[in-house]
Amino acid sequence: MDFSLSDEQIELQNLARQILGDQTTNEHLRDIEAGDERFDEKLWADLAEAGLLGIAIGEEQGGMALGYESLCLLVEEVGRSVAPAPVIPVLVSAGMAIDRFGTDEQKQRLLPGVVSGETMLSAALIEPLNEDPERPLARAKVEGEGVVLDGIKTCVPFANRAERIVMAAQQDGGVGLFLVDPQAEGVALARQNSTAGEPQFEVRLDAAHVASNDILAGPEEGARVLHWISQRTAAANCMMAAGVVDRMTRMTAEYTAEREQFGVKIATFQAVGQRAANCYIDSECLRLLAQQAVSLLNEDRPADDEVTIAKMWVGDVTHRVSHAAQHLHGGIGVDRDYPLFRYCLWAKQLELAMGSTAQLTARLGEGIAREFSANA
Amino acid sequence: MRIEFTPDQLALQKELRAYFEELVTPELQAELDAGGEGGGPEFRKAMRRLGADGWIGLSWPKELGGREMTPMEQYIFTEEVMRTGFPYPFLTTEAIGPVLHEYGSDQMREAVVMPILRGEVVIAIGYSEPGAGTDLASLTTRADRDGDEWVINGQKVWTSLADFSDYIWLAARTDPGSKKHRGLSLLLVPNDAPGLTVSPIWTMGVRTNATYYDNVRVPAENLIGGEGNGWALITGQLNRERLSLVNHGSADTLYRRVAKWAADTESPHGGRVIDQPWVQTNLARVKSGLEALKLICWKQAWAMTEGNLQMADASVAKVYGTEFFLEHYRLLGEIVGQAGGTIQRDSPGEILKGRLEFMYRVGSILTFGGGTNEVQRDIISAAGLGMPRSR
Ligand SMILES: Cc1cc2nc3c(=O)[nH]c(=O)nc-3n(C[C@H](O)[C@H](O)[C@H](O)COP(=O)(O)OP(=O)(O)OC[C@H]3O[C@@H](n4cnc5c(N)ncnc54)[C@H](O)[C@@H]3O)c2cc1C
Repeated sequence: MDFSLSDEQIELQNLARQILGDQTTNEHLRDIEAGDERFDEKLWADLAEAGLLGIAIGEEQGGMALGYESLCLLVEEVGRSVAPAPVIPVLVSAGMAIDRFGTDEQKQRLLPGVVSGETMLSAALIEPLNEDPERPLARAKVEGEGVVLDGIKTCVPFANRAERIVMAAQQDGGVGLFLVDPQAEGVALARQNSTAGEPQFEVRLDAAHVASNDILAGPEEGARVLHWISQRTAAANCMMAAGVVDRMTRMTAEYTAEREQFGVKIATFQAVGQRAANCYIDSECLRLLAQQAVSLLNEDRPADDEVTIAKMWVGDVTHRVSHAAQHLHGGIGVDRDYPLFRYCLWAKQLELAMGSTAQLTARLGEGIAREFSANA
Repeated sequence: MRIEFTPDQLALQKELRAYFEELVTPELQAELDAGGEGGGPEFRKAMRRLGADGWIGLSWPKELGGREMTPMEQYIFTEEVMRTGFPYPFLTTEAIGPVLHEYGSDQMREAVVMPILRGEVVIAIGYSEPGAGTDLASLTTRADRDGDEWVINGQKVWTSLADFSDYIWLAARTDPGSKKHRGLSLLLVPNDAPGLTVSPIWTMGVRTNATYYDNVRVPAENLIGGEGNGWALITGQLNRERLSLVNHGSADTLYRRVAKWAADTESPHGGRVIDQPWVQTNLARVKSGLEALKLICWKQAWAMTEGNLQMADASVAKVYGTEFFLEHYRLLGEIVGQAGGTIQRDSPGEILKGRLEFMYRVGSILTFGGGTNEVQRDIISAAGLGMPRSR
């Protein structure tokens, strides 16, 4: 057993911390958020410059090929700093999927630009009233060499900036995965204001044409690829949440150690200290569960239950820690001039994306029933 | 024992429900959906209508034009208001109005109290300061006597509604050498007084304000209830805040809206949203929590009517209610999912006008506002269980 990071991973983590830390001061984030889109081009370029956007992309494409686990260290740091940097959609859901399942042509066309920071990608994983990423309702019809897509995707991050959006649709014989150009004919984007400020879009597909070289996976292997993407997206989500709650907890500790009421630091009220300690315990549980899921996926081992359980904990822990942090701060905790609120908003985003705790609890329970029925 | 409304109370509830259905026009609804705390033109219009129809001043004696309602009836009113989401200024009408009437000059009764009853005046609460939150008695804003006037200097934070209110109900230290709760007084400060500045504080959910007082002068008669009596008035008012702070009405309405939505919405993979067992479990947990909330609120209103509200029970209502709300929003949020919980009301793909997205952003403030829950728990263990206090 080994819970430790490799030296190389520690270096990556430090590098990520340094770049993100410098560029996510409260003032800087406020400036970015005053703009049109919560995205920091300079930060993204700096991450690229440091090679961090290529952590999990193959060397032939200019990446470092260090794998998913290492990439998730960056994801955790983005959570810890609530940086306006879409690492999950670009690097995990789309980038890694193309790196793994794409044709040579697709990789050469899209991935070097991802590594250099010039090409944005995204993934459209949910649809209106259909938030199970693995059961899309959008339809794909073969037409000539390519396909034609119809359907609606929702909450698609950065769809406007993406060169291609990975999305799934039902077709004859199974699920297919496609790389959709958001500027193509038949694709319409409508901006959605999301709670954490991430630019998101409803993407309507009305006979949108996808050329044959933009097919990522056909109906024979589509379901497997889609499962691969969902799991890695969900587990990355858990790592980001681990970063978010860790920072919320520490920010609360720092604030209550300074704030005085009744002539004493409020941290010295036992009720305050104990509740902060509960946050610490929650954060620790979440990080362990997320790390377990990520380390299994990193070696391509089965991790269905581990991912589900980690994501269930995301819901519980983000909820508890966010409200505890706000409560222990008092009014300042909800003031948009103070940095905590960003973490609270991301916490909600992460809680509900890729399955809520209630939904996943039901799924896990069904699995347990199957497991014990089979053994009976 | 008979734990239900009397026929009269039910009739009142029915009357009010019908009344509010009519009061909330589509224009007012649009204003409410925008998440405001009032102050818009439709809000002002509705307030004047409430005044004209005699609904303001529920608790006031009849000779003042009030309705002299019991706390039980006031609770029913509050619940129906809360169901609509209308930001009724309870503190203005139920807490400050009566005090102004009791202690104010004739001139003030004419100029402020009557307009309150007519729905024309809203008053903001200026208690909290940067250094004085839970420990409110440590506030440092001062008011010094100068001839016929009080001269106010200091800073308040979280002065909600001050961006559109007509007055601020200000707590200030009038005895410069005094400590803690002694030497505090309450002053009525007109919003247009020279030297008063209001600047916005944007929170995760609502707007509130910082208010600055730079030699703000008010007439001597604007000190209300006697010099040095501020603390008693403040704590008395916090008690009155109770019925509106934790109330079953809005939580119950939200539960019903989500359940109805889940029953009316087809699930793309067959059946309806509400047919899924986990959705039913969440709704059941909400309903069971609401049932306790309802009874706690009812008992509180009943005990207030009987004149024997126990300290511990009042604190139970505050803690249980405010902490239940957070669970309630979460459980309902899971049902409406990522789109319902994270897409804002004005965007394509939102669910129930983004209500749950919004409620998460405002939910937490009640646990530390209105007497923080830690202090309430101290009260429960001391007053309810007779345990020794640590401080
Ligand atoms: C949106 C909003 C609107 C508001 N509107 C108004 C308004 O209109 N008028 C007004 O006057 N005020 C208003 N308030 C202020 C509100 O009343 C205060 O936030 C509240 O009193 C808590 O004070 P604080 O924020 O300074 O937190 P603090 O008092 O600093 O408390 C921080 C934490 O310390 C804990 N703590 C403090 N003392 C103890 C103790 N003895 N034992 C255990 N734990 C303790 C608290 O529980 C809390 O968790 C508003 C606040 C907000 C956020």
